[in-house]
Amino acid sequence: MQRFILNRRQMLGGLAAGAGLSLLGPMGRASAAVSEIVWATWDSNGHPEYVEAFEKATGTKVKLSFLSSEDAQFAALKTGSAADWDVVNPSLNQARRYIKAGELMPLDLTKVPNLAHMYDVFKATEKVKGEDGQTYAIPYLWGLNPIVYRADIHTEEPTYSTLFDPKFKGQLAMRDYALESIAIAALHIGIPRDRAFLLTSDELAEVKKALIAQKPLLRTYWQTIGDLTNLIATGEVTAAFSWRVPYDALKDKMKVAMAKPKAGIMGWCDCFAIPSSLPEEKIETAYKFADYLLGADYASTIAEIGNYATTSSIIRDKLTPEKQEAIFIDDLSVMQNFMWPEAPENYSEWLKVWNEVKAA
Amino acid sequence: MTFRQSHLALPVAVAIMAGCIAPLAVLVAFSFYEVEDFDLIPAFSFRAWGDLATSTTDWFLIGKAVLSGVATTVFTALLGFPVALALTRLATSAKGLAIIVLLTPLYTGEIVRIYAWRIVLGGEGLVNTLLLGLGLIDEPLKFLLFSPFTIGLVLTYNNLPFMVLAIWVSAEMVDRRLIEAARDLGARPVDAFFRVIFPLTTPGLAAGSLTVFALSAGEMLTPSLLGGTSGATAMALVDNLFGTAFDWPLASALALALLATLFLVASAMAGLLLRLKGARAVIGRA
Repeated sequence: MQRFILNRRQMLGGLAAGAGLSLLGPMGRASAAVSEIVWATWDSNGHPEYVEAFEKATGTKVKLSFLSSEDAQFAALKTGSAADWDVVNPSLNQARRYIKAGELMPLDLTKVPNLAHMYDVFKATEKVKGEDGQTYAIPYLWGLNPIVYRADIHTEEPTYSTLFDPKFKGQLAMRDYALESIAIAALHIGIPRDRAFLLTSDELAEVKKALIAQKPLLRTYWQTIGDLTNLIATGEVTAAFSWRVPYDALKDKMKVAMAKPKAGIMGWCDCFAIPSSLPEEKIETAYKFADYLLGADYASTIAEIGNYATTSSIIRDKLTPEKQEAIFIDDLSVMQNFMWPEAPENYSEWLKVWNEVKAA
Repeated sequence: MTFRQSHLALPVAVAIMAGCIAPLAVLVAFSFYEVEDFDLIPAFSFRAWGDLATSTTDWFLIGKAVLSGVATTVFTALLGFPVALALTRLATSAKGLAIIVLLTPLYTGEIVRIYAWRIVLGGEGLVNTLLLGLGLIDEPLKFLLFSPFTIGLVLTYNNLPFMVLAIWVSAEMVDRRLIEAARDLGARPVDAFFRVIFPLTTPGLAAGSLTVFALSAGEMLTPSLLGGTSGATAMALVDNLFGTAFDWPLASALALALLATLFLVASAMAGLLLRLKGARAVIGRA
């Protein structure tokens, strides 16, 4: 005898679908199976206007559930407290952690036709694959983490070594984050880009010395990007390893610019993924959403409003040269200089070094 | 069993014990677990405790928490006494207003206050602009913001109301006639303070000290956003170990060590303060 069990999630889904049906009438009936999906993502990736076209085309509403941190997302999946998330947002450099923990569903890539337009560097990445060779996440949005600096004070474009230059004592800032800060110090002391995340214990010791020597030069370690924007706006900091946010927020108010160091540009990339617990009836909609994230509508609105590029080349040639430059796709050779911050095997050693530097 | 007044405290006492002991028990259990591939594995491993025992960074930060708590307590006590005594001299109608003003900083959120401090103490901030304008300095004083000085100043400011309130309540209960008697018998004001007022207000000082110590020793946001490169705290390290590092066993061990240390220091403080003659006189009276 087959038992019929209706769990809380299905129950709620059913109720919501029922409500959708009665409200939408005939139109809703076509998509009655899934009236809503919940997308756990960053607030910058998921403005309501970014998903409007998807909602119109499919009749499925996208409910946005904003993340506070990558760690919180992982913990929520791991502890099962994220039961209402239908689509999640692991970063490319952390995807393996989710895959290893069995939190993601293997993906059928034939259901995402827009993958054909994806830039090769993202297509080729192994970081979204499990040990079984299957793909578990799809990179969809990316950007660069430049050095944001005051162009009126730094007449030469800064490099990572500028962040260790006593000439700018008291005006510099680093992010309070082991992974990127240690890698930057590694590049500064001459460790090549392809090894910046694969440091030996001896190299870590050298990096630690450089970071401790850097401390008196720093105004502070920044905690959040709003924090850094404030530091630059108030004149406390004139150059910092950053995200692009302070540049966009301040470019009309003061002379700020972005530097993309030749030693290696830290990239970030967010992925689409489906939690392994997603109910069967929602899977098709989730795939449609993946295809949407790689399609033209999402790419156009997020380029226009958020100044971010998707991993798809689908609209690149239709953008103005200025817009292409703004979202770093005017010169595609930039992709050859990418460094993806990646948690190293000896990550706990990295964190220990970073905590020692901060307490020194 | 006959009902006594003290039985009214039972439900709250039980809730506090449950709310305190349950998470502590969890921390103790986690501190012996192992972590493998982001999975917590129940075990009886001393790895985390071993790591903690040999880490100079962890103990340095625990020591820093104690120092920060003690320093803030001393500063708030020194500044709080005159304010609390002045409050007792106010007319009853003015007292209410004065207390509201005293608590005003607490009505704004901590983050708002932190960014306000940046505006006041920054290189282009109010204080530096004023000093530059008056010709008292030639260059902005950089130590005002993002330094240990900033942490001390802001923690003292944030916690001062708790100290003042506690001392004030105690000071209100001091029988004025005792002070007058002391003065009549030839005590100078300073003697009257040290030999009459201070001993009789030690219960308030003890309550204020323990509150301020607990609040400031565990403070994480102010040091990290206003302390600059000297803003590392044991609390932030615990947060980092639970989150980024996913090393729950070490995070639990560190949290327990921090808790035990702060508990011991607070107990020693309470012991010392309540052993004072005046405290015994006041508390023994009840």
